[in-house]
Amino acid sequence: MRRQAGTRTGRLRAVAIVALVVAGLTYLVPGLPTYYVRVIDMVLIYVLLAAGLNMVVGYAGLLDLGFVAFYAIGAYSYAILASGQFDIHLPFALVLFIGGGLAGIAGVLLGIPVLRLRGDYLAIVTLGFGEIVRLLMNNLTWMTNGPQGVSRIDEPFLFGAGLNTPQDFFRLLLPLVLVALTLAWRLERSILGLGWAAIREDQDAARGIGINTTIAKLLAFGLSATLGGFAGVIFAGLQRFVDPVSFSFWESLTIVLIIVIGGLGNLVGIVVGAAVLIVVPELLREYSEYRMLLYGCALVVIILLRPRGLIDRRYNPAWLIRKLGWR
Amino acid sequence: MTGFLVQQLVNALTIGAIYALIALGYTMVYGVLRLINFAHSEMFMVGGHVGFFLLAAAASLTGGPASVLVVFAIFVATFIAVGLLGVGIEATAYRPLRGASRLAPMLSALGVAIILQNVVMLFVSRRPLPFPAFMLSMSFDVFGAVVTLNQIFIVLFAIALMVGLGWFVNATTLGIKIRAVSENMRTAQLLGINVNTPISLIFFIGPGLGALAGILYAGYYGIVVFSMGFIVGLKAFIAAILGGIGSIPGAMLGGFALGILETFGGGLLPRLTHGAIGSEYRDIFAFSVLVLVLIFRPAGFFGESVTEEGMVYKRDF
Amino acid sequence: MTLRLEALTKRFGALLAIDRLSLTFKPGMITSVIGPNGAGKSTLINMCAGSYKVSSGRILLDDVELQELKKHQIAQRGVARTYQNIRLFDGMSVIQNLEVCLFPELFGKTFAEVFVPGLSHRMKEERLARCQAALDQFGLLPYADEFAADLSYGNQKLLEIARATMLRPNVLMLDEPAAGLNHGEKHRLKQKLRELLRPDLTMIVVEHDMSLVMTLSDHIIVLHQGKLLFEGTPAEVQNNIAVQEAYLGSPGELDEIREAARARANRVRIRADAGIERRRPGTN
Repeated sequence: MRRQAGTRTGRLRAVAIVALVVAGLTYLVPGLPTYYVRVIDMVLIYVLLAAGLNMVVGYAGLLDLGFVAFYAIGAYSYAILASGQFDIHLPFALVLFIGGGLAGIAGVLLGIPVLRLRGDYLAIVTLGFGEIVRLLMNNLTWMTNGPQGVSRIDEPFLFGAGLNTPQDFFRLLLPLVLVALTLAWRLERSILGLGWAAIREDQDAARGIGINTTIAKLLAFGLSATLGGFAGVIFAGLQRFVDPVSFSFWESLTIVLIIVIGGLGNLVGIVVGAAVLIVVPELLREYSEYRMLLYGCALVVIILLRPRGLIDRRYNPAWLIRKLGWR
Repeated sequence: MTGFLVQQLVNALTIGAIYALIALGYTMVYGVLRLINFAHSEMFMVGGHVGFFLLAAAASLTGGPASVLVVFAIFVATFIAVGLLGVGIEATAYRPLRGASRLAPMLSALGVAIILQNVVMLFVSRRPLPFPAFMLSMSFDVFGAVVTLNQIFIVLFAIALMVGLGWFVNATTLGIKIRAVSENMRTAQLLGINVNTPISLIFFIGPGLGALAGILYAGYYGIVVFSMGFIVGLKAFIAAILGGIGSIPGAMLGGFALGILETFGGGLLPRLTHGAIGSEYRDIFAFSVLVLVLIFRPAGFFGESVTEEGMVYKRDF
Repeated sequence: MTLRLEALTKRFGALLAIDRLSLTFKPGMITSVIGPNGAGKSTLINMCAGSYKVSSGRILLDDVELQELKKHQIAQRGVARTYQNIRLFDGMSVIQNLEVCLFPELFGKTFAEVFVPGLSHRMKEERLARCQAALDQFGLLPYADEFAADLSYGNQKLLEIARATMLRPNVLMLDEPAAGLNHGEKHRLKQKLRELLRPDLTMIVVEHDMSLVMTLSDHIIVLHQGKLLFEGTPAEVQNNIAVQEAYLGSPGELDEIREAARARANRVRIRADAGIERRRPGTN
């Protein structure tokens, strides 16, 4: 059999390379102009979001067009629980779990009634749910301040240090994203990940071999929503201001696009996709009017040419790991 | 009170008629291709704009408001123009993806919708354009409510179109082919039906009807704007689901039903709660209808079963 | 385990597919279910596997009622099946198709697998070893990393059976396993099925290929129009008149068919050099 247990040196080499890259980034990036660091921070947040949505769309094969709802729940959790809005000031780390937890519960609650629907119907219901959440955020002014949004959000404190510059957030986000991606990768290779793949391929046959598809799908929804919530809390801490505009259907679409460009289910592709979708519009700032038009054209062209995503399936984390020497 | 109720009813039927016309396009496309045509809402918007320009052209030629004949001609021209646009979109953006997963055509449709909206926004007008009234502004007093000729026209015209469509689909050969292809595309192909013809026809009629709805809507509210398609289209889609997507009578019924639900729900809530819940909640109402229908009765009034049991489909991607 | 059907009935709207059927499938033997098309064979398997809801009656696996259970619950009790149209996980590799069968068993350990460093690799290796052993049994080891969709048809059928047997089921139901196989493949299939038989395994095979059925089965059940027509050993079935009539029609029906065919042949005669000639009925 070709596959053998990894050799020690191979594994050490891979870990060393990754550590070197991470160390390099951690040293170099904060030195860049603040504007660039901010962009990189947003890229990392979107990688988190896409990694979350990827569990549902890429692994389990369920189209969720309302993912932004969980992002919003996370963000507003921090906005409400750590600001002048109600004069509650909970610590960042705590709200991280609360926000993630609330989003996760919302995900499971949403999942229970809708998961028996066929793919396209699921897409529409989730889209509707996303819109409902946004409209609620817009209209429940006593809680969310409506269209004006919540400002004067607390500065997050982690391990005693305040996070108030994009550089600070970079130092938080980079390891966080790496951990999230590693966990997602391990999840994909785990038996649960395989179960999701089977559900994606042929749900009925998956049930025929004993997979409880309801539980598996609910887990996908719950886990992805939790990750979305985390990203939301961090986003609120970074911006120190949230309003409903940031949580529209276009956000859900952007995250879906990242996954589509990246090649559904492909974590390496997600990083590439997030980088492309966040950086390119920034580069074309002067043409920001045309950004949506470009989105639309890109979407159509990519789908027509490569219906299964831009980045080939082959170039996935397994390929990357082997390239790094982990044999 | 009677006056208030009748007024709400008339308003509901009017907007319901518009939803119904648009919903027909969604339902026909879904019935055949199992595709949720996100671009359909933009047919509505484009139709409104085409009507705007044709009316403006007519006005500048004749120097005055358009006559009935000219208005009729504009309706026909808009129908054809947007219908052709729909056919073109199907041929370029959907047909190549017909064999592919269920997700791909949807994403393509999304892309087309974005393109259309932005093209109009960037190259036509960013700001709303004032739409001329092409109807005599006459109104009648019915039980204390004010009913305009415009409203009556919209409702009757929509019903006439829907009846016409119903006849077409049931009595003509082409119409029957459309139904055959909706039932079972593979079998229809085996019977020698060239499925591209009925499909192109569906993408001609559906967008055409949506375009007419756009003109009616624009004439009613007096403006066209590049963003008018999104919310109205989404609601029309909800109407199609409510009626049972894939079913033409369902789309008609669903349109009126949603109009009624939305108007009465949105109109009554402020009264019932004494202003605590305002009518901005009308949109939330519509979306809640969607979520509730899909949870409790996904098939809507007349639709097919949409849950997983018994479906022998395989991949979504 | 013994699989017992009691007064099982299945209706599809107005169509009565299975009519108060009572059967017993014993372990340690291969029982084939045969019958003309429409007799209800696949419906039977679908009901036992939980794909179809039972209209009335009971399905018992050693005293445990199955008819109300969900599909995955039935599978978890050791009822495995293959499909008439192959339903493999096409986009997954051959070995993954087997690996995923370990889901019900190992699902609980997922949390540990993901969060505890070092565990992921080891657990994966263990799973792969088990799957490799299973693949080897079926001669599919060389194809382990290929996409299931890329296998030859015969190998795909084998893979489906391998997947079904991965967790040592108590009941194995095969829906037309020989469909589309050539002679040599059918022979290998027969050998494989015989190899798989254990004293505690109840094997049920729905098939059309009579020579395969007669040489493979220990017991044959003949269904006709949703009811039991006859059951017995292969020899008994072959000699049974009712079975022959069901398949070939009664003697009277047979004569009618022959006469109609002859009459039609007289009306139209094709000559190689002249295309189709029409002759009046009754003429030579």
